[in-house]
Amino acid sequence: MIRCQALRWGAPGQPLTPAVDFGLPKGSLTAVIGANGSGKSSLLKVIAGLQKPLAGNIVIDVPRKGGLSFLPQQQHLDRQFPISLQALVAAGFWGNKQAPEIRSQRLKSALEDWCLTGLEHRPLMALSGGELQRALLARLSLAEAPLLLLDEPHAALDELGQALLWKHIHAWHADGRTLVVVCHDLAAVRQHIPQALLIKSSGCVLGPSTELIRQQPQTQVA
Amino acid sequence: MIAAAYLWQPFHEFVFMRRALLGGLVLACSTAPLGVFLILRRMSLIGDAVAHGILPGAALGFWFAGLSLPALTIGGLGAGLSMAGLAAWITRRTGLREDASLAAIYPISLASGVLILGIAGKRLDLLHLLFGSALAVDGPTLTGMLWVSGFSLIAMALIYKPLLLDTLDPLFLQTVSRLGPLAHGVFLTLVVLNLVIGFQAIGALMVVGLMMLPAAASRFWSRRLPVLIIIAALLGSFSVWLGLLLSFYYSLPSGPAIVLVAGGVYLLSVVFGPVHGLLRRPPLLTSQ
Repeated sequence: MIRCQALRWGAPGQPLTPAVDFGLPKGSLTAVIGANGSGKSSLLKVIAGLQKPLAGNIVIDVPRKGGLSFLPQQQHLDRQFPISLQALVAAGFWGNKQAPEIRSQRLKSALEDWCLTGLEHRPLMALSGGELQRALLARLSLAEAPLLLLDEPHAALDELGQALLWKHIHAWHADGRTLVVVCHDLAAVRQHIPQALLIKSSGCVLGPSTELIRQQPQTQVA
Repeated sequence: MIAAAYLWQPFHEFVFMRRALLGGLVLACSTAPLGVFLILRRMSLIGDAVAHGILPGAALGFWFAGLSLPALTIGGLGAGLSMAGLAAWITRRTGLREDASLAAIYPISLASGVLILGIAGKRLDLLHLLFGSALAVDGPTLTGMLWVSGFSLIAMALIYKPLLLDTLDPLFLQTVSRLGPLAHGVFLTLVVLNLVIGFQAIGALMVVGLMMLPAAASRFWSRRLPVLIIIAALLGSFSVWLGLLLSFYYSLPSGPAIVLVAGGVYLLSVVFGPVHGLLRRPPLLTSQ
């Protein structure tokens, strides 16, 4: 699904890692972990085609239209924008050719899935961070892309919201979609995501998440 | 009834008042969505910069062809677009912020315009270019305004969806479509086009007022984008009508009269508007 060869990325002149090679098979569920500034979000943007790699190449085996969905970090959204939650979620239908009745049915069930019923007409300004995050996830789920790139999807979500998120991630995975998730919550990664890509300034390691996140803060007591 | 006649009679009686009104109304309608989107894109001051930047092109057009509508339009369009384009290019190549790069380009443009007018022998009044006179709208100018307004309303309707997403969430739009940069380019072109056609009617600086004031005022009346645009168009049209009347009865310059009415509407909206206006702030939202 995703193949990277001799890939380097980061700000021009300042690559974040030496050239790395890795491949993520179709239908895999992978967490991207690493310290702040190690380049997790930029890697996701490079995969999404939003940022050019500095060197090397990256091949993504999805149709060009509607092949991938990207969940950005929410702070770049203008909360003053005069639009309702429903209109924001419905943007997930971009390029969708389904009949209007089917779409409104799907919109309704997506809002229900993400516990947003009743908030349809709220302006963005009047949403909490968690509600906005669930709206962005609902938008993502409407697009039904085979490749999902999630940048800190659990940000701003409370416990219930996180449970909802993991439920959907597992459902998407079971559905055969490919997921790449940037996640800071290492305990959750260990528990929910089988495979992890650890980014360090010396390079990338791809392996089972339980191995990569072994020496974890459970040893805080020591 | 007498009062009503008082409000309509000038337009009924004089052709130049009718032309000024019609031209102003279509301009108010086509600049409304542009102003609203400029504010949403945090580019509120760009109209001002572009309006100054139009000047050298218009001056050159005047120098070569005299006071002809096509020459002034083409000159202004060329200067406005190349200024916006140059600023955008510098931004992309060097990372200078877009507002800084425009702010640096437009004095160059403005000064060259004034210089050209000086060399040309001041036959074209600078004040007229900057502040214009709605009462001088003639037949061809009015036709040009109707075409430009119609064209920009249709173009805005076509790019509305991509432009909205490009403004709200450009990263999302980039992953699903490549229309973002196109919508941005068309939008900037429409801004320049409206400023150019408007500066011949009410003056370059005044048309910026007509573009931005109703758009800024509408923000105090609604939280929904389509409604915002309609309110901006209505407030702009109202300002044109009342401004022309005041200018007729009190012999005021028409451009400033229109913009000052729009300014009054804006200040009233700030105070009385239901959405975060000073007096109408819902008590529940006062904390935070």
